[in-house]
Amino acid sequence: MIRLQNIEKVYRTDTIETLALNSISLDVDKGEFLSIMGPSGCGKSTLLNIMGLLDAPSKGDVRIGDQATLNLSDKQLAHFRNKKLGFIFQSYHLINDLQVLDNVELPLLYRNTTAKERKQLATEALEKVGLSNRIKHFPTQLSGGQRQRVAIARAIVGRPEIILADEPTGNLDSAMGSEIMEILIQLNKVDKTTIVMVTHDENMANKTHRLVRLFDGAQVQ
Amino acid sequence: MYRHLFKLIWNKRKQNFLLMSEMLVSFLVLFAVFTLLVYYYQNYKKPMGFEYKNVWLVNYSNGDKIHNGDSLKLFYETLKREIRAMPEVKDISLSSSNVPLTQSMIQNGFFYKGKETNNVNTYQVDDSYENVLQMKMLEGRWFNKTDAVTNTVPIVINSSLKEEVFGKEQVVGKIIGDDKAKKQIIGVVADTKFKGDYEASGMASFSRIDSSSIHWMGKMLIRVTADAGPAFEGRLYKKIAGYIENSNVEIEHLINKRKSINYFALVPMIVLSIVSCFLIINVALGLFGVLWYNINRRRGEIGLRRAIGATGRSVASQLVIETMILATFSLIIGAFFAVQFPLLNVFDLSTGVYMTALVLSIIFIYLLVLVCAFYPGRQAAAIYPAVALHEE
Ligand SMILES: Nc1ncnc2c1ncn2[C@@H]1O[C@H](COP(=O)(O)OP(=O)(O)OP(=O)(O)O)[C@@H](O)[C@H]1O
Ligand SMILES: [Mg+2]
Repeated sequence: MIRLQNIEKVYRTDTIETLALNSISLDVDKGEFLSIMGPSGCGKSTLLNIMGLLDAPSKGDVRIGDQATLNLSDKQLAHFRNKKLGFIFQSYHLINDLQVLDNVELPLLYRNTTAKERKQLATEALEKVGLSNRIKHFPTQLSGGQRQRVAIARAIVGRPEIILADEPTGNLDSAMGSEIMEILIQLNKVDKTTIVMVTHDENMANKTHRLVRLFDGAQVQ
Repeated sequence: MYRHLFKLIWNKRKQNFLLMSEMLVSFLVLFAVFTLLVYYYQNYKKPMGFEYKNVWLVNYSNGDKIHNGDSLKLFYETLKREIRAMPEVKDISLSSSNVPLTQSMIQNGFFYKGKETNNVNTYQVDDSYENVLQMKMLEGRWFNKTDAVTNTVPIVINSSLKEEVFGKEQVVGKIIGDDKAKKQIIGVVADTKFKGDYEASGMASFSRIDSSSIHWMGKMLIRVTADAGPAFEGRLYKKIAGYIENSNVEIEHLINKRKSINYFALVPMIVLSIVSCFLIINVALGLFGVLWYNINRRRGEIGLRRAIGATGRSVASQLVIETMILATFSLIIGAFFAVQFPLLNVFDLSTGVYMTALVLSIIFIYLLVLVCAFYPGRQAAAIYPAVALHEE
């Protein structure tokens, strides 16, 4: 499903050069639930961003499905992300000025959909994460766990084949974290969604199919 | 997408309120300035309606001290004959104090069929006045000697007054006024911008100086030849000063009077324009700053939108369109206030002036907002999604 070949990522600023990723090759199969672990600063987010086409590698090749991504335009990339990928972030990244339902509808705004379809799909997605009773709330009126569930609903509303989650439970206590983890596992099991998740939590990682460990930008396991 | 933007704007109404009031205030100021500018410009485009070059204005006092009505008339006839005899003089006319290109005004009501029209400038002048100022007759004729013996008092009106009171009707020969003072219109003269290039001519009616108003005369208008110079001015001065005893005589040139009365209109216009320029610059900077600030505050949102499928361009246009929608709301509110001016006829300006000013200020505000939103929008488009998401 995702094929990374010899990925290298160098961040250059005026004074320093950081080698964030060093020659990473990784295959993620369709329907797989993969977790990535490693100490802070080892390049986990960088790797996830490259998989999510949010960032381009300095070297190497990213294929998603049967699509080579190297020469895609900004517009094609945006379209591809919209159709195939769903993102979940540690800090939720909800738009605080929009109600829960509108936040979940967001990805559909960048496709051809009617308002009715959007509302229907978003409501369904919210049902899946167990938040259908909070659709008129604003994000600031929700708990952290609830916010992350909104973010998951937003990630799945467009029925993407792949979900990329960067420390989705990082800001939550372990009970909340387990709840979120359960939702992801169900998504993977029932909807056969491919999931790549960055985590600091061994317990979470153990619930996934496979674990990749990074150290200093290189894959160690 | 528009629904989405409206929701976003509505939910942020508190933050947007300030921005909108800023746009509203600048719109109203612009509207005021443009109204004035359009009004002045429209007047400026109209013909002067009279010739002020080579016309001199003589101010004098004590003209009536020693004479009674009939001998005063004779006294003036003699004076005018003597002045007219000077080779540099083409023609001369006495005038009531509201001579062209001065601030002096005399206004009266104009009665026709029991209806009064107010703010009509009334001028008491000689038969030669039209020739001195080279005014243009549109209908009928100007006064002449035969008018001295008619029963009804003859008057000449200008085309603004004609249009206001009679519209397209034929007016020469019409009897106007109330029962006490009936008058007959004998001619229509083209509008004259007696208050300078930038002011409207207004409505005017002219009548001959009669035996009672002759006591109030204190001005003469003299059309001179192009080569009349200071030497002649000296002789003219001596002649008049010698003829009217104990009089303060002053000679001015209408060409200079025009300059000073134009300043009178231009100075407030320039001051207002400068003030509004500063205001607009201020608003532009404020707008730019707010939008810039917005984009930085909303970097997370921008990154997120990019991640879930927005292109750089659509993010940029979203920000610009959002601002334009805010501007539209402000302009709708502003236009509501602006149209009250013609509706309530606050300043007696034509609806066309207001509408032109309205359109101009709307265009100006839109351009201003577009320019101010464009650059921050482009900056937003250039944000890397990974970087923007990373920052929060
Ligand atoms: N935009 C950037 N510019 C320069 N250097 C960067 C940038 N983003 C990340 N880096 C560097 O790349 C390295 C990897 O960063 P990354 O965010 O991928 O780490 P991480 O494994 O996700 O860490 P954490 O667990 O703390 O989230 C770090 O050394 C970081 O300093
Ligand atoms: Mg990270």
